[in-house]
Amino acid sequence: MTLTRRQFGAGIAAGVALETISTRSFAQGATIKIGMVVPVTGPAAESGKYALNGAKLAQDAVNKAGGVLGKPIELVVEDDLTTNPGAVLAFSKLAAQQDIVAFLGSIRSTQVHAMAPDILKTAKPVMFGGTDVALTKLGNPWLFRFRPNDSYSAKVISAYGAETLGKKKWAIIHSTDAFGSGGAKALTASLEALKITPVLDQGYPNQSQDFTPVVLAIKQSGADIIGSYFTFENDIAIFARQLRQLGVNIAWVGSPSITVATAVKLAGPALYGTYGVADFAEESSPEAKAYSKLYRDTYKVNPDNYSSWTYDAITVLSMAMNTAKSTEPEKIRQAIIATKNHKGVEGTYNFDANGDGLHGYNIVRNENGNIVFDKHIDFES
Amino acid sequence: MDLVLQLLFTGIGIGAVYALVALGFVLIFRATNVVNFAQGEFSMVAAFLMVVFAVDLGWPYWAAFLVSLAGMAILGVIFNLGVYYPLRHRTYLPVIISTIGASILMANLTLALYGPQPQVLQGWFETQGIQLGPVFLDSQYLLIIATTCVLVAFQYWFFEHTMLGKKLQATSQDKEMASLLGIPVVGMIMLTFVYSAILGGIAGILVAPILFVSIQMGSTIALKAFAATIIGGFGDVAGAIIGGLALGIIETFGAAYVSVPYKDGFAFLMLVLFLAFRPQGIFGERVAEKA
Repeated sequence: MTLTRRQFGAGIAAGVALETISTRSFAQGATIKIGMVVPVTGPAAESGKYALNGAKLAQDAVNKAGGVLGKPIELVVEDDLTTNPGAVLAFSKLAAQQDIVAFLGSIRSTQVHAMAPDILKTAKPVMFGGTDVALTKLGNPWLFRFRPNDSYSAKVISAYGAETLGKKKWAIIHSTDAFGSGGAKALTASLEALKITPVLDQGYPNQSQDFTPVVLAIKQSGADIIGSYFTFENDIAIFARQLRQLGVNIAWVGSPSITVATAVKLAGPALYGTYGVADFAEESSPEAKAYSKLYRDTYKVNPDNYSSWTYDAITVLSMAMNTAKSTEPEKIRQAIIATKNHKGVEGTYNFDANGDGLHGYNIVRNENGNIVFDKHIDFES
Repeated sequence: MDLVLQLLFTGIGIGAVYALVALGFVLIFRATNVVNFAQGEFSMVAAFLMVVFAVDLGWPYWAAFLVSLAGMAILGVIFNLGVYYPLRHRTYLPVIISTIGASILMANLTLALYGPQPQVLQGWFETQGIQLGPVFLDSQYLLIIATTCVLVAFQYWFFEHTMLGKKLQATSQDKEMASLLGIPVVGMIMLTFVYSAILGGIAGILVAPILFVSIQMGSTIALKAFAATIIGGFGDVAGAIIGGLALGIIETFGAAYVSVPYKDGFAFLMLVLFLAFRPQGIFGERVAEKA
């Protein structure tokens, strides 16, 4: 059999058409896929489990309510190993799947920084929970933050410590990663706005086994309050126990890690009486209360901010796709930015042009191991 | 002065932890000429066993301790048969890679079985510690220091004054000659792995009330213990102890007087300096390749 030029051309055309149709049908599969970069292994595996729990609750709620554009949503999970290279690799693996329409990134600022160049290249929306202020000022239009950034946490920590508790001699203790350093910088700036210069600014490396030198430095500084930005819960627990053992019982207002379930459990009485800023607080709103009940009924443990932001992220993302009536990245992006006055479980979302959704924090207190809501402080976006 | 004493106590305490894990490194190195990179995971597994028996099942602390150590002895046998024995005639490199693989397997197996949540293990004593003048002596650190002293004394007696200890030493010095003299070399190496697993386990159980029980607790300690072993002189028991204590004290004082963020840097700076200028460590003897 000989092949004429016309037959050959028709064959090629049919092949190309078939390829296009099959690719398109693949992209328009039976589900709307959302990629999720999450620590399944490594030091933050515990928080990853919470994050996944929250996302799954939202997935179930969205699917029960009819899904997105008439299809159920589906989470595609990749382990970031709790490392920056792991996060970059996990994101690359997900980004290679053309049918994934948007992503959930990390709660760790340092990992979001590491993934940011690839996110820009992929040009699809990424929801994240890292709180380093700089992340939404990188000029990367695809980043959307579902937690209040550290400029707000610093303002709330300083205002509560200096004005409500009346403390003027501040010791700032922070991890030396992007989150801790960024937080400490923001706290110093907020205190300076209140005409207070910290008596101590002390960084420490993550996964420290001993904090004796840090505690002794606090003692020597004569501080009457600690403002802290800890990244890992076991670090905060070791520090808290050594702090109390060495007789330091001054006031302490910490970043959200001081309020999470794991830190409260590990440190026990060493964290009693401390204050923390928390993006999630059960008593802060009817939405947070309902979410807490749902979470407890499903997983038999109390929720914390590791799960609440992913719950809100999936909910807002699904809403945005339904509003945009499309899964095209630019249309989703514009729909997220246009989200105003959405009452999530973390607070009321009013997205600004930078991609920041929340603009305030709750103040909570550790009362004998129970995290008790004190008040919510919001700022203009 | 109060500050110095407090730092000295903490430095010795944390150094004793490194020393305990370093002892395990040294023993296996002496018996097999390879570094066991899963030594830290022995500590982690023992701490999790302790959580299962003492916390989850509510057994008395001492009973949980003994059963956990028995579990570690079994792990030592399995480790020897699965990780070292099949590769015993190969060079050191495949064995080292095999131990790294085993450490990853142990960490992830524990993660799969127990989940990622860090656990709290109470210390042996009810009291948190003793206030001695201006210095607070943490009861768990006191126990660690005392245990290290006892184990060092036991090790000295065992290797120098018992026939079994001498057989182990002979095996580590020259396996062929030991075999010719009728010493069961395979059994001796098995025993070394069992003892090292128990030693790592004791370190893990002792340090768990301070650092909490988590999947990564082993690797954090093992890295410093490895540095301590090199500083002390690989293959030398006294070196491991001195290296561990020196490292603990240097990093604690370095953190207090120079920089906390660079605390880990002091340990690894020491390591680099020793590797550059005295690779055989404090107590090691220079080994030259024979022509």
